[in-house]
Order: sequence, then C-alpha cells, then structure tokens
Amino acid sequence: MNTLPFNAVFTLAWRNLWRNHRRTTIMLAAITVGVWAMIFMTALMRGMVDDMLLNSIRSLPGEVQIHHPQYRDDPSINNSMPAPSDNLLAALQIPEVVAWTSRVRVPAVISSERDSRGIVLLGVEPSSEIAVSFDPDSIIEGRFLEDSNDRGLVIGAKMAEHLETRLGKRVVVMSQDPDNNIADRGFRVVGIYKAKLVSLEETYVYAGRDTIQKLLNIENQVSEIAITGEDYRNAYKWYPQIKQAAGESVDTLPWYEADAYLGSMMSMMDGFVLVWVIIIFLALSFGLVNTLVMAVFERIREIGLMQALGMRPAMILYQILLESFLLLFIGLLLGNVIAVASIIPLQSGIDISAVAKGMEMMGASSMLYPALKVEDMVLANIIVIVLGLLTSILPAWRAASYDPIKALNSN
Amino acid sequence: MKHLLFILFTCLFSSPSYSATPEPKDLIQQAMDQWRGLSSYSEMTMTIHRPDWQRSMSMRSWTKGEKTTLVRVTEPKKDAGNGTLTNDNNMWTFAPKVNRIIKVPSSMMSQSWMGSDFTNKDISKSTDIIDQYDHTLLETRQQDGHTIYVIESIPHEDAAVVWGKEILTIRDDYIMLEQQFWDQDNILVKSMKALEIKELGGRTVASIIRMGKQDAPDEWTEMSVQDIKFDQDHADNLFTLSNLRNPRQ
Repeated sequence: MNTLPFNAVFTLAWRNLWRNHRRTTIMLAAITVGVWAMIFMTALMRGMVDDMLLNSIRSLPGEVQIHHPQYRDDPSINNSMPAPSDNLLAALQIPEVVAWTSRVRVPAVISSERDSRGIVLLGVEPSSEIAVSFDPDSIIEGRFLEDSNDRGLVIGAKMAEHLETRLGKRVVVMSQDPDNNIADRGFRVVGIYKAKLVSLEETYVYAGRDTIQKLLNIENQVSEIAITGEDYRNAYKWYPQIKQAAGESVDTLPWYEADAYLGSMMSMMDGFVLVWVIIIFLALSFGLVNTLVMAVFERIREIGLMQALGMRPAMILYQILLESFLLLFIGLLLGNVIAVASIIPLQSGIDISAVAKGMEMMGASSMLYPALKVEDMVLANIIVIVLGLLTSILPAWRAASYDPIKALNSN
Repeated sequence: MKHLLFILFTCLFSSPSYSATPEPKDLIQQAMDQWRGLSSYSEMTMTIHRPDWQRSMSMRSWTKGEKTTLVRVTEPKKDAGNGTLTNDNNMWTFAPKVNRIIKVPSSMMSQSWMGSDFTNKDISKSTDIIDQYDHTLLETRQQDGHTIYVIESIPHEDAAVVWGKEILTIRDDYIMLEQQFWDQDNILVKSMKALEIKELGGRTVASIIRMGKQDAPDEWTEMSVQDIKFDQDHADNLFTLSNLRNPRQ
C-alpha cells in the first residue's frame, strides 16, 4: 500500500501550517483567546454560583436538615421537636457527617432604648454551631458565645447600628412561649459579627441554646437539626441514612429539596457551561474553517501534483486534518496555560464591592472566588478538539476530492 | 395599661403616711400597696400632640387589684369602642370595626399604644419596677412643704428592660412627680411628669401626666383625669374577653 509514513505527513502538515505564519498566528490567537474565555469565564461563574450555594446552605442551614413537619410552613415555637436521641444520635456518628448541631430558631423581637426590630433568634450550641455554619472570624467585636448556657447575645453589625446599641450594652429579646405567653429577657451584647450579606446581619441573633430553651419554656426541645458533610454535592449519598434514623415523625430534607431553587441552580449551571462553551466555539469555528479553506485554495496545484505523484486522497485528508489538529492543539495548550495562569492569582478573591449591592440581591457576596474545575476544562478542550476536527472535515474533504488533472491545470 | 396606671394610681391613691427614713424599695412598694387590692373607675382624656397635629381621645378605665385593667375609648366617635384588656402580662385589644379580639403579640409590645407615646409594654408591665430593679435613694429634698425622694432604679441583668436606669421622683404623699427613662449611656430618653396635682375622688392625685421624648420636645402624650372613683365593687366578669367584645357596663 502506498502510504506515506506518519512522520512525513506530520512534517508536511507542520510546514504547511507555518507557510503563512501570519495567518496561522492570528488563528492561534483567536483559538487561544476563545479557550481562555471558555475556561476563565466558566471558572468565574462557577465561583459565583458555588459562593451563592455555600452561603445559602450555610444560612439555610446545613446540607441536611431535620425539622418538625410543620416547621417549614410555620416556624413557630409550637412546631419544635425533641433534641436528637438514640437512633438519630447514633446515625449522626456516621463518617460522612462532618458536623451537626441543633438549634432553637424562632421569630423574635429585639429592642433597645431607641428601636426595636424583628429578628430570627437562634439558640445555639456554640462549638457545633461553629463547625456547621458560624464563622468565628466574622466576629468583629467581642466574642462568640462560649457555651449553650451563655447569657450573652451576639448580633450583627448592621443590627447594632439600627438599634443604636454597642458591645456591652443590654437589649431585650421578646418572643412567645408555646402557650402564647410573652417570654422576654434582657441580654447583654457580648459579640458583634459581620456577615458577607447585610441581610443576614439584620436577621440572625445568636444566643445560648439552653438559655433560650429556659426563656421559651421548651426544655430539651429544638427547632431544627442541621447536618453538614464533606461536600454539599454529595449530600444525596448519605442523607437517606439520616432520614431513616430520624423517623417519620419529622421532616428530613437535603438542601436541594429544602430549597429547590438552589438545587436547580446547580444543574442549571452545568447546562450553562456547556452552552457557553459551544457558543464561543461557534464563533471560533468560522475563523477555523476560513483559515483551512484558504490554505487549501492556495495549494490546489500542489495538491494536484501530490496526487499525480501517487499520494492517495485519504493521505491528503489526513494531512489537512492534522494541520487543523495541530492548530487547535497549540491554541488549546496556550489557552489552557493562560487561563490557569490568570485564575491562580485571582484565587484569593476578586473584589467586586463596586457592584456589591446588585450581587447581594442575587445572594452572592462582594468577593468573587473563581472556581477552576477540572471537569469544565476537560469539557472545553474536548468540545474544541472534536467539533474543530468535525468542522475541518469539509475543507479537507474538498482538497482530497480534487481531480489531479484539473488541479494541475488550474491557473 | 398597667405601667401607666401604676404610676397614675400611685399618684392617685396617695395618702400621706410618713416614715422617717424610707427605704427606696419600700417607698415604691408602699406606693404600690396603696394601689394594690384597690379597685377604681376613672374617666380620662388622652391627648397626643405632634408638631403638625394633635388629637384627643376620651376613655374610661376600670382596674381591679394589681393585675387587671380594662380601658375603653368613648370619644371621638371613630375610635369609640376600642378596648384594651390587660391581665398579668397579657394584653388583648378589641376594635369594633373589625369585630375581633386580638391578643397583642410579643412583637407588638414595643409599639405604641393607640398611637401615643406610651408603648404597649409601658402599659402592660406593672410590678416590674419593684421586682426587676435595684433601687437607691439619691436625694431627699424639701419643696413646698413636702419631702421629695429621688430614687434611682437600675434594672437587673436579666430583666426585660432596655433602660440603663430609671429615676423616680416621689413625693412624701406617694405622688409620683416624675419618672425618667435613661439609656445605657446615661442619656435621658423620655420622661413622664405630673403636671397638675389636685383633689379628685377625695384624694390628692396627679391629674395630668405627660409622657414625652427628650429629643423631640414637640411630641408628647398627655393623660388628664377628669373623674375617678375608688373602691368600686367591680363584677368579676368585667375583666373578661367577652366583656371586652360586648360591653355590659
């Protein structure tokens, strides 16, 4: 069989690629920028969505939550449940569970001398609360609660501003016990926290769980149990175990069911990345096809000559495809390198506080942390290579199917 | 209504009874005892003043013991029939327009009572000032032939009180001349003053009491008592939800 060795075809393709080096460089630049945009923008969007999801899951809170069946419709004190015991307590020891906490979470009113505001009062057990959701570094003044008997109160910075109160001052928290009697008590503000989102600072007030249980007359009752695992994406694997242990009398939900919007957001994001990559590729493909068509058009006589000398059309097809592959490969290589190089320095966060207000409405914070995912990079590369080769089949096919006589006699 | 009424009636039911060096807590306690166990019926007018408007409401009120109070608005016509019943720390309101009794939830306790400068909490809390505060006698002075005691009351750590302290000025015949509410930075926030003291129902009472915020001198609420009768024999069913809805007296 009259086949040229691969080396020869490769050499031909490589040299042809650089015959018109200006055109090739421009095409390379286009591919590089395109691939960079695919990967970089995807990482930015992934980062934003991850951040939103994490924030939301933290404040939801917990990847898996257990509530009284009516609590989600009516978060009142009457819809509380006993603190975890026996079966559930044992199930919470499984290795997939990284941390869990139980809270009393009721609507309440906080008042100072100057103002009063509606809040969500969280009676928490501080050490497990920190493990599940509270970030101790967010305390900007004072301290977080020390134990569940702590008699202090931790409020958000914005709330302190609204109430015109400060660290060390007393405020009154008012709520209702299960019999609808008013339960109120003075608390000293022992800590002030700063959250990523102002709305959280305005909503959540932390107090010791036992203190709140005493205040509300609900010994050993909690409103919710929040459980967190290694990665929120894996919650579906271990949550049935918890659900079974918790029993039918309570509502056990993973985060993507507890907040269907968040759940659909994650799958929407995967679809979005694919669409984004394809759109950029479509723009690229026109340039790619044009370059190859031109390269073939210039070389009609040459192709005719090669065919006349006995080169098979298939070899010509391979050669053109190899040319395209080399072009794409170099472009991808450069694009990936530049994308990674531009993401890594930004990994510590991009400050977008100029548009923080708008971002906050979406539930995202004012720091953007690009999240480079290997899957996204692989997806972008595969799409570019596969679709790129598919689009270059057309010019390659044309080159391979020239009649050698006509080709030699053209101009 | 009770906090207000406590002060109102502390003033109202005062009768001179002298003790040489009163303990501040006893002083307040005695003032309370004057009122405790008694029942009364009174007619009063509440005037709410703001820089650009002012309105008055006439009301009748019944009290029995320390825990129960019923207030019913009689004038103006559009508010007539509005009622408030307090029993212990619970509070219910009734509005004839919606024909519904609403239990005042904790979230509304810090809001104003009928649009006045009194909060629902001011109105419904009564004995808190004795039990939940530490009292010290700051000053004793003579004025117009009376001994006047100035008492500083500081709330306990856990007390459901936002104030840093309250300063009570009590005359030796147990008329509360002034009650000041100070914040925790020692700034006076609001105060309640007796503006007029006269004989009513056979006793010396503070007949006009004004509650005003310190930083808004143009905004105040005044309670003026027209008539008061003591030791009334109120039927037990007076202080019930059904009576709040369907007045029988």
